[in-house]
Amino acid sequence: MDASYLDLVMAQQEETFEDAEGGGGVWVVAESAGGEMAPVTLEAIGVARTLAESLGAYVYAALLGDGVRLLAETLYQAGVNGVRVADHQGLSPFSLEPHLGILVDLFAEEPPEVVLLGATEIGGALAPRLAQQLGGGLIEHATTVSLDPTGRTVEAAIPIYGGEYFEVVACPEARPQFLTIEPGAFAGPFLDEYRRGEPTMVEVEPSEPAVRVVGLAEGFRPPEVRLAEASLVVAVGRQAGDPAQVERLAEALKGRLAGDRGAWDAGLIEADQVVDVRGTVVSPDVYLAVGIRGDTFHRAAMEGAAFVVAIHPDREAPIFEKADLCVVAEPGEVVEALLTAIGSAD
Amino acid sequence: MRILVILRRVLDPAGIVAHRRLRRLFINREEYLIQPGDHSALEAALRIKDLGGAEVVVVSGQPEPDDDTVCRGLAMGADGAIYLSGEGFAGADDGVAARLLQAVVDRLGGADLVLVGMTTLDTAQAQLGPRLAGALGWPQIVGAWSVEIVDGRVRAVRRDGDDYVVVETDLPAVVTVPGRALEPRYPDGARLVNVYRGEGGMGEAVLRWDVADLLHPEGLVPLLENRGRDFPPERELGVRVEGTTEEVAQAVAEALRARLRGA
Repeated sequence: MDASYLDLVMAQQEETFEDAEGGGGVWVVAESAGGEMAPVTLEAIGVARTLAESLGAYVYAALLGDGVRLLAETLYQAGVNGVRVADHQGLSPFSLEPHLGILVDLFAEEPPEVVLLGATEIGGALAPRLAQQLGGGLIEHATTVSLDPTGRTVEAAIPIYGGEYFEVVACPEARPQFLTIEPGAFAGPFLDEYRRGEPTMVEVEPSEPAVRVVGLAEGFRPPEVRLAEASLVVAVGRQAGDPAQVERLAEALKGRLAGDRGAWDAGLIEADQVVDVRGTVVSPDVYLAVGIRGDTFHRAAMEGAAFVVAIHPDREAPIFEKADLCVVAEPGEVVEALLTAIGSAD
Repeated sequence: MRILVILRRVLDPAGIVAHRRLRRLFINREEYLIQPGDHSALEAALRIKDLGGAEVVVVSGQPEPDDDTVCRGLAMGADGAIYLSGEGFAGADDGVAARLLQAVVDRLGGADLVLVGMTTLDTAQAQLGPRLAGALGWPQIVGAWSVEIVDGRVRAVRRDGDDYVVVETDLPAVVTVPGRALEPRYPDGARLVNVYRGEGGMGEAVLRWDVADLLHPEGLVPLLENRGRDFPPERELGVRVEGTTEEVAQAVAEALRARLRGA
């Protein structure tokens, strides 16, 4: 190893040390609902702890709301080192300006290096405004998070076109680095009941929200989700047994009913419900094929689905090639049992 | 009343294939759509114009010359268009875009309402609208399913948990619109032809602005950096569930529940 390399390494280490001293650690903006911590907040704490470990920093949580003080306990159990609580009746229900004002003040006092929020309605409203006001970069809907080789920049993968592929994005210069975490993408941390801490209460006087809620939108119905954009599709085929039962299943799962070409021929579904390359191409999160054999055109039209369950009596049915969960059985019986299984859980 | 609508374009997902095994992206057909959210936002603006009169100006920009997005906006019924281009535009992220649009609003001498799509179709980022609201110091309404002007204030229907609520705020404001909110109208045929030929006053309706005149070069430096692509793992053959009907149903229900919780 020559001296210049050693100098370089040492220079880097010095820099790292200084940053760790001056940097305000990894922050999580906590979100609670109905007196409980939102799962995505706990997941974000898990991510924050991993980052903080490598950064040599502490994990802090900012908890804002009305009557949320006791929830700080859960945050400590999840592994944060410090909690700042702003408890005020003006902070619930959520509105942007009061929360924004408090967080901006908080982060101005203790400048964070990384700030994590949940990719929820609240996180999605807060994060861009915080980033804009504090001059940071924001990466939304992160599904993987790691540190790059410089050791201080977070690299995050975000799904493109709903997960067809991922772009890896980083915010190399600007600080703080804001990220919103996709709910369910990361495992929640272990809640250690022996971990305790005393949260720091922040005195706040929330500002007035700029947007006023007039009332419920009576009679408003959002436009129906098109089959091509549905997130859960229950498809019926000619082998489905009782088609009405499959329709009930679609309703129970809050999914869209569809079918293959054969189901249309048999009059089980309408023309706009045909999943086929000549009909509608779908890419839902979950695709449930009930009694569909799966011809080439049908399979090509549904292979974008993230998770496929196929129920068909013939083990040689081509649909099983595309399925994640294969059930070789009489669909009628399975669907009936499935309806019971779902009903008993709710 | 002046309404600014931001139109961005996006590569049509029907023309691309993300090959998991080769870990490559194939662009078979390079065709662009207007971001569905922006398209919907333009429709919202045009409905306000239809009801009470407004000047609708679309703002768009690309690093390379491509007028298609603004043309489609004009053809749908926008009164004017601002087309941003110039060096430094490539790689502009939402932070830069917010600064640019703030400069556009300043140069226009103000606007009453800015409408923009809530999320992008490709990257699912929803920060342009809020960032712009922050930069301008205006109130924001995120995710408006319908937008109207009532007594000089903007009123919108927004989701609140499982319900939909009516919210309102003072003008000027920034409102973001989900892609599914409003079905964009089909352009008028004669207008469409005029727009593409630059006839009937349509050629003059487009203002071409250089980004260098709007912002200092350091204002054009993006905050985010792209560091490559990643692909999901190859799809594997599925698992066969066996057992009695009840066991099978239980296993399927369990799997569905796990998936739906994650989604």
